[in-house]
Amino acid sequence: MAPSKKRHASDQTCVIPGGFTVLPLQFSADSAAQHDLYVKEHKVRAATGSHRPLDRTLFVLNVPPYCSQATVRELFSRFGGVQSVELRDHPGSFQESGPELTEFFKPAEKKGFKVGYVVFQSASSLAAAKSHPHDVPLVVCTEGRPVRTGVQKWIQQYAESFIQPEELQRMVDSFLEDYDKRKVEAEERQKKEAEQQEEDDEGWVKVTRGHNGAKARPHSEAANRRTLQKEIRKKKRKELINFYTWQHKNTQKEHIAELRKKFEEDKQRIALLRAQRKFRPY
Amino acid sequence: DLNFIERPAGMAPSEEEEEEDSEAPVKAKRSKPDEEVVYQPVKLSRSDLYRPPTAEELSQLKETESLFHCSLLKMQMEELLREVALSEHRRQQIDSFTQTVTELLQAVPDSPEVEVSDLSWLSGAVKIPFLLMPKVTKGKFHMAPPASVDLIGSYPLGTCTKPRIVVDLAVTIPADVLHPKDILNQRYPRKRALYLAGLAQYLASSSDIGAMRYSCLHGNRLRPVLLLTPPDSSSFTVRVHACPPPGFFKPSRFHPQRNNIRTEWYTGLQTSQSDSSEPPTPHYNSSVLGDLLPRAHLQFLSAVSSQCSAFAKGVALLKVWLRQRELDQGTGCFNGFLASMLLAYLLTTHRISNTMTAYQLLRNSLNFLASADLTVNGISLAKDPDSTPPLAEFHSAFQVVFVDPSGHLNMCADMTACTYKQLQHEASVSMQFWDNPSVDGFHSLLMTPKPMIRTSDHVFHSVSLFSFCLTSHPHPLVKLQSSCKKLNLLSELMDHSGNYVHAALPFILSLLQQGLGQRVHLLTHSLSPDPEWSVESEAPKHKAQPPLAFGLLLRQELAASVLERGPPADSPKAAEFRQLWGSRSELRRFQDSAITEAVLWDGESMCQKRLVPKQIVTHLLRLYVLYLGTVPSTGEEVSLLVVQAYDDLSRKLWKLEGLPLSITAVQGAHPALRYTQVFPPQPLKMDYSFFDKEKTSRSLVPKEGKPCPTYITPITMICHMEGSGKWPHDRLAIRHIRAAFHINLGELLKKQHNYTCRPCPTHLDVWKDGLAFRIQVAYHREPQVLRESVNAEGLLVVRDNEEAQALEMATIHKPLLTSTLHGLQQEHPCFGSVCRLVKRWLGAQLFSADITEDTADLLVASLFLQPAPFTSPGSPQVGFLRFLHLLSSFDWRNNPLIVNLNNQLTEIKNDFMASRESLPVMFIATPKDKKLSMWTKRAPSVQMLQRAVMVAAESLKILERQLMDGSQTQDVRVVMRPPLDAYDVLIHLNPKQVPLLGQAVDCPAVTFSRGVKTGSVAQSGGALPVIDYNPVTLYLAELREAFGDLALFSCDPYGGTVIAVLWKPKAFVSMPFKTSQVSARSVEVTGEEVNTVPNVEAILEDFQVMGKGLVKSVEARTEKWMV
Repeated sequence: MAPSKKRHASDQTCVIPGGFTVLPLQFSADSAAQHDLYVKEHKVRAATGSHRPLDRTLFVLNVPPYCSQATVRELFSRFGGVQSVELRDHPGSFQESGPELTEFFKPAEKKGFKVGYVVFQSASSLAAAKSHPHDVPLVVCTEGRPVRTGVQKWIQQYAESFIQPEELQRMVDSFLEDYDKRKVEAEERQKKEAEQQEEDDEGWVKVTRGHNGAKARPHSEAANRRTLQKEIRKKKRKELINFYTWQHKNTQKEHIAELRKKFEEDKQRIALLRAQRKFRPY
Repeated sequence: DLNFIERPAGMAPSEEEEEEDSEAPVKAKRSKPDEEVVYQPVKLSRSDLYRPPTAEELSQLKETESLFHCSLLKMQMEELLREVALSEHRRQQIDSFTQTVTELLQAVPDSPEVEVSDLSWLSGAVKIPFLLMPKVTKGKFHMAPPASVDLIGSYPLGTCTKPRIVVDLAVTIPADVLHPKDILNQRYPRKRALYLAGLAQYLASSSDIGAMRYSCLHGNRLRPVLLLTPPDSSSFTVRVHACPPPGFFKPSRFHPQRNNIRTEWYTGLQTSQSDSSEPPTPHYNSSVLGDLLPRAHLQFLSAVSSQCSAFAKGVALLKVWLRQRELDQGTGCFNGFLASMLLAYLLTTHRISNTMTAYQLLRNSLNFLASADLTVNGISLAKDPDSTPPLAEFHSAFQVVFVDPSGHLNMCADMTACTYKQLQHEASVSMQFWDNPSVDGFHSLLMTPKPMIRTSDHVFHSVSLFSFCLTSHPHPLVKLQSSCKKLNLLSELMDHSGNYVHAALPFILSLLQQGLGQRVHLLTHSLSPDPEWSVESEAPKHKAQPPLAFGLLLRQELAASVLERGPPADSPKAAEFRQLWGSRSELRRFQDSAITEAVLWDGESMCQKRLVPKQIVTHLLRLYVLYLGTVPSTGEEVSLLVVQAYDDLSRKLWKLEGLPLSITAVQGAHPALRYTQVFPPQPLKMDYSFFDKEKTSRSLVPKEGKPCPTYITPITMICHMEGSGKWPHDRLAIRHIRAAFHINLGELLKKQHNYTCRPCPTHLDVWKDGLAFRIQVAYHREPQVLRESVNAEGLLVVRDNEEAQALEMATIHKPLLTSTLHGLQQEHPCFGSVCRLVKRWLGAQLFSADITEDTADLLVASLFLQPAPFTSPGSPQVGFLRFLHLLSSFDWRNNPLIVNLNNQLTEIKNDFMASRESLPVMFIATPKDKKLSMWTKRAPSVQMLQRAVMVAAESLKILERQLMDGSQTQDVRVVMRPPLDAYDVLIHLNPKQVPLLGQAVDCPAVTFSRGVKTGSVAQSGGALPVIDYNPVTLYLAELREAFGDLALFSCDPYGGTVIAVLWKPKAFVSMPFKTSQVSARSVEVTGEEVNTVPNVEAILEDFQVMGKGLVKSVEARTEKWMV
């Protein structure tokens, strides 16, 4: 079953509508089947940050699970020097991810197919990748560059999961040190903001938006809700129940309506069960 | 969509009339694709809700409110009655057919008079429905047209119900055919049989009658009946009884103490006995007397029924109740006739009033059955008790006594005391369920069938009763009986006219009752069904009866005791005890220095102890006893060991000194700690030479090229730390602090107890006594911290997220579930075994990924907590059968399964109904989790649940058939072998790399050394073994992550060597090219359109690549799918 693809051109590069170039990829030299990588230059409207320079970043789709970051770097280095590789589960903008974490404290990664952002050192490599001939597949696992899968990989993973308690302790300590430092900084910042809001000599208060638009102390949603409920309760306490005749009548009416509603619900439930023959005791 | 579970669905109301006609087309129709029947929350308009009520409506609302739990029950009962009532169309059919039959019968021609034993006048193929034994009896016989033909029984009374519509027709034999002395020596019964044969012979030539068959009333061979059906349909049966003219015989001749069969005639031997010493023949007497009275009974019941408007409906409900309990058919049953008589009795004694509704009639009669013991205090409908025999006389002849209005006939003559006790038990259990507001009373009382195999804890069959009762038996007790009661047994046999099973049954039952004693709540036996045979074949012999099944309902606390302590050696009862137990009884001295007779049964492990009742039964009866063994054989002891090790470790954790914060709680969170692990972890000692070593951390690592080392389950436990101001309020910081605690705990455990430990950021592994424990430190505010975030406006918002839920699941819900179920196990000793059997089945049938361990444990817990209409399972086998029944028959679409763990759940159904569409398909509610069903949120999916339901139904069918059929060999593993032909790709694994190979359903041909030293258990210290390394689960996880949206991957976690892959239904639909949906897909370009389809070739190769070393071959069954 060869996938019957209408290749665009008789020349060797295969570009599909949408601008993606198809790069075939196979696991090893003697593989019978190929996956297709879909590559395109990275393009976004609002350029954010310097992590993905627009002219040098290649956007790669459909990276198989056995390709690690290092493997992808190796694969694409045939087109020129690779500066960085970023693999993600879904395409999306780069996210600043808090303080730097060591390998052991990162949450487990998903091992499915990925999308990649390959940043080359020069813009020319981008073009080279995009014009790569379709009949020359990229090979993941070669003799010079073996990629472990299956039992070998799992044993390696198991062995690598060990960490010396001392080393772990060191990681914890350095993180906490860092954390404390950040906390102190944040406190100082808050203090400074609070100072700014105090009256000056002439009785004026300087009102600013503050850092990141945040107030000195975040008020919580729960607190808002509590206040609202307090109000409602206060109102209720003042109300008289069954005091006027019309109120009494209304409660009775509500009661009958309630009974009726229940009756109707039951009737409907029965109708449903009857439709399913749920009353035949045999 | 969700509507698949309404399997027997899809009937529009207009079809109702037509589908009643026959069963076959109904089935066909039921299987057709379901119509959309979905519950929509009621929306009444304002004007509907608030319009002024009429007086009638008010009273109706008031009645439903006051009489029933809710109006639902009333409506349910009405619907049920509508289902069982005969339709007008059916009544017309019956009337016209009986009319035809009556006319035909009245034209039966006369025949010349012959001797009774001369059968030559019966020309043609028709045979006489009677076992002629002894062959000859005196008297003359000739055919003559009947004196009258009348409808009797339930049909004219209006209590006839579906299914199994039987219309009784009484044909009166003209007086000149009979002789008043015919009651002696089976003369009348034989004449009656001859008369029926004569009728059958005449009717055979008519084209208005379909196939004719003989049967006998309540299995009594003396009372044959002729079954007629119309030629074109078999939806009802007309049962022709032949009766003597009313008052032809004197009723006093049939009193229980009278003899009407002479020993001399029956045995053919000359005896010197005088008439007065002949044994009484009460059963024979009542069988003849029963023929004299049906018209009188009909009159009596009609009179009662005309007084009470709900009489017919009440009887119908009672009949449904009896039918669901298999008590309404067979020899000695409590049939519809007795049900109407019972209601009549209650009405005439003013225990119920004429104005009561059907619901109240049912309730009161169950209440009466539950409280009255007819085996001791019989009841009578007789109007003038002076002219009839006293009740005591009946009691001396019969086990159960209920005397008819004439005062001469005991209507419960054939019933055994055991059957009545069963009836009583059922009634009292039903009353309990009815009064319990948390049980769906209607469903458990009237809608759920209770076959014996699913009701009794143990079931066994009698295979060879024949050898048991007639010949002298080697067993001492039978000798006891045969020596002093040999004559008695013969007279019993004479009384039952040769039906040895019924003659011997009471003796067998009393023997069993005596032997089992306190171990059982209830001893039941199946009622042998009425035989049916064609008019052209001979009556079947007594031997041809199917074997009886006996059921035991065990008393949990005593059933498994290995010791039977008897009376003191010198007491007079000792001899009796020795006689009962024979050589097994021996004198023993006990700790309280008493010397008594005692029997000690074999039973080392719980598994063997469970079979003590079997040993008793086999010993007593020397029957071939059929029992279902449990699959995971001995496990209780191992589980206990694990729990002890856990207790020890948690004590040590509590006592640790030098922790910066104190421990507030240590909780187990693993199935092994609630006795429900299928294969509980066993203490092991490792063979170091088998492994590679990680030098720096003194740990073992699996070696490449060797078989996968044995799998060591980490037993999870949660260690809650004290809250303190020092805990940071930041998710990452908390994660690091927890890691610090793991290190700290590890160091202390190593230092103070010399356990080998391995701290990780997420947990701490402890190797202790050959078991691996995984300790996770938890901080109670962490889920809260995970939920909090500050939004753009600086407002602190609390939003639920998956991370927090997962953490709560692991640190709060799982430990809680574990401790709750641990408690349940203490209450019901076989809870754990049922869970393990169930999970083994789920695993074998490849459902482990969908119905998770926790879900399965909860499902089983529901069987114990809400057993209605049964009692809590008392053996693994019955628990397993009920689980299969629950899974396959529960209405998952419309009902939440309520697992009332602490007996404190209230109404949740309405919430459930209102938001049904957004809830999981399998909804399980527990007191801590009323609205979300967190255990089944992810799985099973609609399709998998559907499949599980199907497979469960099939497994149940196979198992029940095997268990109830004594002749088949018992291999329960049949239901553990999944059908693999439904799957698209099979990935065969290399058994060498499957660590749990030894747990496979079928024992593997080759075994591998897996680095375990046998015969000894590791001491504390030493290198850390390979923990939680299972290539199969790692591989499955990778497959699911990579291809989870294209296919389902399932594998038996207990030693399965095949991964079954099923493409998802929509996997091969081509999709437009989207950057977020191109995983493992290839493109197809047509013009400017780009579509993608899965790249199957590459995927199949990926299966190989990703599982290198583990995968043996990938078998693509391309014949099943095309790309």
